[in-house]
Formats: sequence, C-alpha cells, structure tokens
Amino acid sequence: MAEFNIRADAVDVEQIMQQIRSRIRDKRGVDYTEEQIQAMAGVKLEQFLDPRGVRSDMVAQFRSSRPTEPVPTFTFDDTTLYDSHRTVVRWIRRLLRPLLKLFFNPNPLIQALHIQATLNADTVARRDLDALYYEVMHNLVLEMTRLSIDVKNLKMRVESLSSRLDFNERRARALESVVQYRSTPEADRPAVEAAPAEPRSSEPRGAEPRGAEPRAAEPRAIQPRPEAAAGAAPEGPGQRSRRRRRRRGRRGTGTGQPASEPGGAPGGAGPASADEGHEPAEAGYAAGEAEHESPSPRDVPEGPDGGTPDSGDREP
Amino acid sequence: MKLAVVVQRYGADIGGGAELHARYVAEHLARHAEVEVLTTCARDYVTWRNELAPGVEVINGVPVRRFAVRAPRDPQRFGRQSELVFEHPHSVNDELAWLDAEGPASRTLIRYIEAHQDAYDFLLFFSFRYYHAYHGCRAAAPRAVLVPTAERDPAVGVGLFGPIFRGVRALMYNSHEEQAMLQAVSGNQAVPGVVVGIGSEIPDAVDPGRFRQKYGLNGRFALYVGRIDRNKGCDELFAFFQAYVRQASSPLTLVLIGQSVLPVPSHPQIRHLGFLDDADKFDALAAADLLIMPSYYESLSMVTLEAWALGRPVLANAHCHVLKGQCLRSNAGLYYADYQEFAATLRALESDGALRTALGDRGRSFFGRHYAWPVIEGKYLDLLGQLAREDRQAGGRRPHAIAPLPGWFARRAATLPPAREVLTRATAREAAASRPAPAIPREAHA
Repeated sequence: MAEFNIRADAVDVEQIMQQIRSRIRDKRGVDYTEEQIQAMAGVKLEQFLDPRGVRSDMVAQFRSSRPTEPVPTFTFDDTTLYDSHRTVVRWIRRLLRPLLKLFFNPNPLIQALHIQATLNADTVARRDLDALYYEVMHNLVLEMTRLSIDVKNLKMRVESLSSRLDFNERRARALESVVQYRSTPEADRPAVEAAPAEPRSSEPRGAEPRGAEPRAAEPRAIQPRPEAAAGAAPEGPGQRSRRRRRRRGRRGTGTGQPASEPGGAPGGAGPASADEGHEPAEAGYAAGEAEHESPSPRDVPEGPDGGTPDSGDREP
Repeated sequence: MKLAVVVQRYGADIGGGAELHARYVAEHLARHAEVEVLTTCARDYVTWRNELAPGVEVINGVPVRRFAVRAPRDPQRFGRQSELVFEHPHSVNDELAWLDAEGPASRTLIRYIEAHQDAYDFLLFFSFRYYHAYHGCRAAAPRAVLVPTAERDPAVGVGLFGPIFRGVRALMYNSHEEQAMLQAVSGNQAVPGVVVGIGSEIPDAVDPGRFRQKYGLNGRFALYVGRIDRNKGCDELFAFFQAYVRQASSPLTLVLIGQSVLPVPSHPQIRHLGFLDDADKFDALAAADLLIMPSYYESLSMVTLEAWALGRPVLANAHCHVLKGQCLRSNAGLYYADYQEFAATLRALESDGALRTALGDRGRSFFGRHYAWPVIEGKYLDLLGQLAREDRQAGGRRPHAIAPLPGWFARRAATLPPAREVLTRATAREAAASRPAPAIPREAHA
C-alpha cells in the first residue's frame, strides 16, 4: 500500500515532508528541545504537573530568595583588637594592653566578635549548600517535566498499541476461521450441498449470483474473508433478514448453478472487500508506521457487527 | 578567449570535489576557448607535499602548468591558527598567518599570475579558502572570477575574504544557499554572480545487474558514496541506520563506497566496498534504491547530482542547507533532521516504489535542465562574454577593485571577531532576510 498518493508529474517534497512530520508528531507526541523543556519547567509547569503538588514558580522562588549581596566575612581572635599593620603601633598597643585592661574588660567584646566571625563563615558555607539544593531541585523539576512528557507520550503509544492489538486479534480470528473453513470436508463439496449445513457465519458472501453469470469455483474463494471472521460474532437482525432475502433470491433465480460457489461473482462485495482487507502490507512504510497508528477502516476486515463495514451499502 | 583555471591541485587521478569540479570545467571550456590550468605540484591536500614535477604537461588535452609549494603544511600550526582565528578575537596578521598555514603556499604561482595576467582574458580561481585563491585574486583582480565552493564552515567568516568576495569580477556559485550565505557574510550583492554548479560525466549506459553480481548484492540497498568520515556525518548515519533496521526489521542494506577514515561498524546489513572506479560507482548508483547523503556541510555534492541523473532519489541531511535546498528545488529527494525523520523518510523511500520512481524521475529532469554540460558551459560562457563586453565598453580594464590590506599597526590590532561568530551572525541575518523564492523555478505541477 503506497503511503503517499504520488503522481509522476506532480511530486511535492515539501508536502511529503510535512506529512511525514505530522505523522511523527501524531505517533510520538511532541519532541521538545532542551531549551523548551527548561522553559516549560520554569513557566508552564502546571501544564504537566499537578499544581497542588508542585509549585510551578519554584525555580523563580529559589532564584529570587537567593541574596545577591556577598556576606562579609572576617577572622577574629584575641589579638585582633590590638593588631596593626604598623609594627611600632602594634608594639605600643601590646605594651599598653595591661593598662587598657585597667579601664575596661575587652574579653566579652572579643568573644562576641569571634562568635560573629564563626557565624559569618557558617552562613557562607550554607549559602553554597543552598546553591547546591537549588541545583538539585531545579534538576528534579526538569526531570519531572521530562518524565511527565514521556508518560504522556507513552500513554499515547499504549493507546495506539492496544488499538493495534485489537485489530490484530480480530484479524487473527478472521484468519483462524478461514483455516477452519478450508479444512472442513464440506468446503470441498459443491456449495449447494454444503451451504445449508454450514453455520451461517461461514457462508461465502460471493455466493450471490450477479445476473446470469455463474462462474466456476476459484481458488481465491479460500482467501480470508470478513464474513468468515464473523463466526464468533453475533449477527444482527438486519443481517439475518438480508440473508433470508438472498436465499429467496437464489431459489427464485433457478439457474441450476451452485448458488454458494466459493468465489462468487467478481463484482460481489464479499470477495472484493475480503481481498482488500487481507492485502499484504506491501507498502512497508504504512505497515511499519502503523505500529503506533490506529488501523484504518480499510484494513479492518470486519465491521462492529461482524460484517464488512460497508457491506450494507453494497447489498443489492 | 583565453582562460586560466587556477586550482590547488589538478590531475586526472586527483579526487576531491573542488579539484574534480575544476578539471571538468577546464576540459569542457577548452571546447570553446583556449584554457590553461595553473596549479601546484601537490597531490595530497593534507600535506601539500610537492609530488609532481613543476612545469607544463597536458592532461586530457588541457595544458597544465605546475608550481612548487614553498613548504608542506604543518598540521599543528594550522590547528593552532584555526583555533585562534575561528574562536577568538584576532588580528589581520593572524588571519594571514592562518592562510599561510593552510597553504598550499606557492609564491611562484602568485608571481606567475602577477606577471602573466595580461595573457589571459579571465582567470577562474577555485576554492576561496586556499592561499592560491586569496593571493591570486589580489594579484589579478580585474580578471579574477571566483568559484568559491564554499561550505557553511567558519572559514567563510574570516575577515580577509570579505574584500575578495566584494572585489572580484564575478562569482560562479554552486548553489543558491552558497550565494545567500556569501552575500550575507560579505555584502557582495553588487558583484555579478550566477548559480552554475557542475555537471558530471554520466555514462551513456549503466549495468546495475553487473554491479549486483560482482558484489553479491541481491536485495534492496541504500548507497553512500564519498569519504567515510565523521565530518561527512557518517557516524550519525551508522547509528541511525542500525537503529532503523533494528526497529523497523528492515531488510535494507547500506552499501558504502569510498575511502574509510572512520571505522565501519560490523553489521550484516552494512557493506563497505572501498574505493571503486567510476564505472562501478555509476553502476552502483543505478542499482541502488536510493542515495543517502548524511553530510552536514556540502557545497554542492556531485554524487547527489549523479544519483539524480540516473533517476535515483536522495535522502539528505536537512542540516545541510545546500542539500535540503536542492531537494526542495528538484522535488527529487527527502531530508531528515533527526532520527525520527530519518526512519520515517527512509521507510517511505524503501517501501513506496511509486514515490521512489516519481522522485527519481524528477531528479533526472532536474539534472537535465540545470546540470547538463551544455547548460553549465552556456552559463560560464554567457557570464564571461558579458564581462568581456563590459570591458570593451569601458575601453579597457577596470581598476583594481579589491580593498587593500590595512596598515602596519592596524594589521596587528586584535580587533577582528572570531570567524565562527561572524558566520553565526550572518546566518541569523540570512534567516531574518529569509528569501524563500529560489532563482530556479520550482517544478511545474501538473
């Protein structure tokens, strides 16, 4: 099956690329660049995360809560008060230190300033730690955003795969019933004899005579057909009445030919649609790409009620 | 009319895009004008070692005059200079040192051009980025026609080349993308220029069956032709292709033709055939289902044109503006920007015979309209004729049009921005200008 409707005189590469890209988007969801993920994590977090669980403005909050001015740091010990870069001054202060202590007690002042210096150093260390926390949380937010996108994409893929699985199961049932039909001895007999004994579900659709053009049995009659697939599915009242009408029609025609010959008339809806439904997926792109796509109605061998989706329209 | 083709290397057995381009142009123009080739004695583009004898020899009916290269290239020096010029602010002297380091530095060739330029009506300089083109264009500016063969690499942003692009008599571009890029970088819109490209010697008959039999290829295969190198995007191609055959369970084989610089992965569906002669190459192109061109930087890609000439579709790297533009103009190839697109486009081409045929047909007609030799020769001769008429009307030669180099102090001032930055800014300007309408009209849709 060709993926693109190509005419040799009218190829538009741009259009083909647009189709391919839109299919990739449909199949895989949207692929985001790193910058887009960053932007989403920073601004549109609520689109991907539960806003009650995670604050969408967390990154901004962290950024704004970080102080911009540097913390003043200094070292302080018991001689700092008397220190000087001038050796003479330092020597005089050292000389007069006992005299100074006669006027006031500098020790509490020295201790307080020493504690303050220690606190300042701790604050600086904590700020580095805060930066680390910020980075960790920022990365977590990014990862959560990325994971949310992955989850979203995976959900889409699971849905696609489950629909594909349903399709394959239906197809497998159809093929199994065809195999049963082939191996049944009744199938080899003339259809006139076999038809009344067969279950209704295995009755070939192509058995309808089209005017007075009876045809011999053809091997293609054992091709899988949608009607065969309907074996397990219950029939609706409309189908039964149609079947009754067909039988009446056969009796009324009276051509003497086996009315339910496999293969039937070439224009019959049954074999034609069956062939379509079981056409090998020669256009591998369509087949391969369909891994993640819902099956098209054309590929589905049977309708929801067990018949071909368009069988009703084709009934005479 | 007497023409000189000036190129860095020349020989019947010398490959390389620009060199082959120059040889084809020289041999085809020789049917309409008197052509002489001025080149160096080098054979190897990495070292520029003098391997051929200086003097005159005749190759395929065209006289070739060779000049010795002063010194082989020092790769380490060239690497250092490239790093400085491409990535850091630098001076004009740094750029001149970079050009010297790149080579092939042949002062005798430049002196010959200076002394004998009056003997030629025009001199066609190939590959703007080499020593011979820069100094040769300066030496013979009124007669210099440049075939830049420029790729989107930082060398385009080197400040030395701006005056050259603006000062030569005319430019023969390989593609519309190359023209747009050089105009964005240098603002040379006023200089006459025409998008010409290059034809190829396509054989009259090809035998794909012979190729398949010779190399034991039975199923469908995609072909890569060229140097197997990381610079050509081959590592990405290998990764993408292996992922594709694994995920899509594809029976497609990737066949590689060309010298390998990169290790080829050991994979049952990747076949490396080595370097093949032209007969095998064309048979391979005819036998292939499609050609893959993973390169990020191409000036034109002759093998892409050859694939189109043989009616084969092309899958190109969309990051290469030239290849993408060619695919869009020809409607004869698809392109990919990432793995998803690679897989989808390759799948489409592999599985859809009608698509392959339609693209191949468009490629064949595109090649015939724009790259057949009569078309190429006609474009060259038209432009050269127009320049000759201008000269006659002006009553003689134009004055030297290339801006001189700055003075002693200005040459040493590190005021030039990094070449990569120049290219990036030009690319942004180019994107902002966004001229979507190519000069070649799109294929008429029935």
